[in-house]
Amino acid sequence: MGVVKAQRRVRSRGLGTDVLPLLPFLFFTGFFLLWPVIAVTLKSFKGNDNEWTLENFRPIIHGGPYFHSFIVSIKLALITASIGSIIGAFFAFVIVTYVRGRFKNVLDSISAVFANSGGVPLAFMFIAAFGTNGLATKFVRFLGYDIYAGKFTIFSFTGVVLVYTFFQAPLMILVFQPAISGMRKEWREASTNLGASAITYWRRVGIPILLPPFIGAFFLLFAGGFSAYATARALTSGTVSIVPIVIGALVDGNTQASQTNLGASLAVGMIVVALVIMIGYVWAQKRSARWRQL
Amino acid sequence: MRISSLQKWFIVGFASLLGFTLFILPVIASSIYSFQEPGDKGYTFKSYTWLLDQDGFFSSMGTSLKLAVLAGVINISLMVPTMVYLNLKGQKFKSLVDFICILPLVIPVVSLAIGAQNAMPSFLQNSQYELVFFFVIIGLPFTYRTLDTSLQAISLKTLVEASRSLGASWIRTIIRVIVPAIRGGITGALFLTFALSIGEYTITSLLHWETFPTWTVVASQQNILGAIALSVFSFVGAIALLSIIALFSKKGVRQAEAEK
Amino acid sequence: MSKKDRVSSTLELRGVSRHFGPVKALDGLDLVVAPGELVALLGPSGCGKTTALRIVAGLEVATSGDLLVNGERYNDVAANARDMGMVFQSYSLFPNLSVSENIEYGLRARKIGTAERSKRVAQMLELVALESKAKAFPHQLSGGQQQRVALARALAIEPRVLLLDEPLSALDAQVRGQIREEIRRIQLELGITTLFVTHDQEEAMTIADRVGVMSQGRLEQIDTPDVLYNHPATNFVASFVGVMNKISSQISDGQVEIFGKRLKATKSEKSAGQVYALIRPEAIIVKTNTSNSNAKVLTRSFLGASSNIVCQLSDGTIVQSLMTSAGSGDLHPGSTVELEVTTSEVLVTYD
Repeated sequence: MGVVKAQRRVRSRGLGTDVLPLLPFLFFTGFFLLWPVIAVTLKSFKGNDNEWTLENFRPIIHGGPYFHSFIVSIKLALITASIGSIIGAFFAFVIVTYVRGRFKNVLDSISAVFANSGGVPLAFMFIAAFGTNGLATKFVRFLGYDIYAGKFTIFSFTGVVLVYTFFQAPLMILVFQPAISGMRKEWREASTNLGASAITYWRRVGIPILLPPFIGAFFLLFAGGFSAYATARALTSGTVSIVPIVIGALVDGNTQASQTNLGASLAVGMIVVALVIMIGYVWAQKRSARWRQL
Repeated sequence: MRISSLQKWFIVGFASLLGFTLFILPVIASSIYSFQEPGDKGYTFKSYTWLLDQDGFFSSMGTSLKLAVLAGVINISLMVPTMVYLNLKGQKFKSLVDFICILPLVIPVVSLAIGAQNAMPSFLQNSQYELVFFFVIIGLPFTYRTLDTSLQAISLKTLVEASRSLGASWIRTIIRVIVPAIRGGITGALFLTFALSIGEYTITSLLHWETFPTWTVVASQQNILGAIALSVFSFVGAIALLSIIALFSKKGVRQAEAEK
Repeated sequence: MSKKDRVSSTLELRGVSRHFGPVKALDGLDLVVAPGELVALLGPSGCGKTTALRIVAGLEVATSGDLLVNGERYNDVAANARDMGMVFQSYSLFPNLSVSENIEYGLRARKIGTAERSKRVAQMLELVALESKAKAFPHQLSGGQQQRVALARALAIEPRVLLLDEPLSALDAQVRGQIREEIRRIQLELGITTLFVTHDQEEAMTIADRVGVMSQGRLEQIDTPDVLYNHPATNFVASFVGVMNKISSQISDGQVEIFGKRLKATKSEKSAGQVYALIRPEAIIVKTNTSNSNAKVLTRSFLGASSNIVCQLSDGTIVQSLMTSAGSGDLHPGSTVELEVTTSEVLVTYD
């Protein structure tokens, strides 16, 4: 009885009352998520004298080290997302097709751990494994190949790419698996039954269906590769100049007021890039859901 | 399709080899490394014990644990009622909340940290507890997904109606009926938030607080082996723990199969 | 595409077996489907009916035995070269293609020109009465509509044989009957040789020319529905098809005594001892107002023209009787009654 009365009351007041139970959530995220974003955006437009200005964005746009850091960041994100998505998609396919039961559960959990790893422990682990005296390095050297013979070092851009793949690929596995699971075997069988070859199936049905989720996942990986800070920081002690590290340097060092504003503008720059990716991701999600039947 | 057994084993074999090299090898290599005596003199636990002797190990560990637990509690208290409401009567707000919960994944944590510096009132900025709130925010994407999946897997509406029709109040319904039903999801969300909080480095270091991860980086500058030992320990520990939980949880698989 | 133009094919399975290690999904299946005939394979899950169908389609390979279409051995013919149309239980429409694009999929694979394709698609849409949905997508259609499109798609390629794998099982009860009738109507109109797999015996009995009852990889009996119902060859068939009562009795001299009447036990291997007589509900009548009583009424279900009366014997056995509603008006739960068998022959079983 009470439930029916409550429903009637709520319906007559429309949107207003319905939103009430969500207020705690909205206040929390508003204050701790949205407000900081707004604050840093406002700060980036303020000069030393607290006047509105675009000065802070000048170093970023006009070339030079700050502009360059964005290029490096984007390059890193692009490369690791590409490698991660391809490897991850392959693994996701193998897992969905060939692994069953509890072992699959275990693999999923491990993927979850790997995907969320990153940060400091990961960097150190890779130093231990692939550093100049790392065990894996020694092992491979024992097999005859010295990875340090050329220009490679774990403490470089390439090293960072290697380490990032460690969490990018598992993230791809996690995110892309549902898309692969959603491929009904009946589709492939019906296609065969109707006389089509495997190529035709993938061209007309398989790839069109898998492409949007793949692109969406790619964007997700890109976002992760772009925003990561801790791993690169611990690994390279700041020598690879991606934007987060530049920001970190500005914040850690002896900052003058102008530099804190610069930090803000860099941060906002990152948000802009991230938002663009986000739009891509949402678009891809919409396309993925287009033909979904419940 | 009719793929031959040989092809199947070839693919699985290749995948396993690749997976091993890329993922397992680094873990094994670093694990062995962590037991090594510097200068190839043999094996020892010294790296592990060294860390324990350092100043700040226990205090930073304590801080991290404290903050992580708080983050977990606040996360669940905030999100469980929210998600329940969202799946019951608040369906129309779902995409909005989904969007908000995806933001922490998209907005670079670095930017959030800088924003926090500029936005947070000084009473918060002077307390390490400000980190708790940001840990919750960072965990939102995963919490949302986990709780949402759990709630969708049970017939929430039916359970609630049954409970209410038998005379239970809302609070009783949530605590006695819903929470047990989504136990798995809540545990998962708690665990994830906890793990994220313990390992969080970016915001913590940019806001100049000392927790376990930031302390480790500083300490590692004196003894890289010790830092490595620790990293290995936490990583392997996490995998082992989750694998064991996974091995004993049949529910996830059965539910997934059933939904097909 | 009418009956006159089509050359209907003969489908034959000879000794077809499918082993998975020690497990025998199919154990020596012999089956002939005559041109234009609709044969239903009926049985519980795991009986091998779907395996048999998939072997015919080429989606699975038989471990031994031969598959023949019009006398030609098809075992090694690739699945996509068999010219057979298959309708799956569910989810088989390509979600990213419209109804028309789904239907013309097989035609495109055969490199049939655009004009010819459009004509065929239009014909198919008319056949299943879905002209208005030509440009719709699968997720916009109901379950019944999806299956009709699946049927149209399978028939568009003018297959030699039509294969249906439990096409109605995923549909709502009310829709099921409609689609079932449509499938049968179209099948008869086109005169296409058809193999229909189902676990629903009512479905099989109403739609098929002949029904093959399967259990554990073997074909128990294949006959017209009529023969199957009235002359079940094995106990499995007897209990699977329709409702069957099992009443215990003693056999002597090839006869059993049920409710005081001596009946001939057909196909009995034993001549003495304990047996169970298999009797259809419609062969049992319930009598009140008699001095003998051998059962008690438990429930009475009104089904319209007839009523189903469930009784219990003194030894606890449940017996069902199907009588005209008129004759069973005064039967109430709890009343004692006399049951009588109206046939003179019964099938017996030993377990």
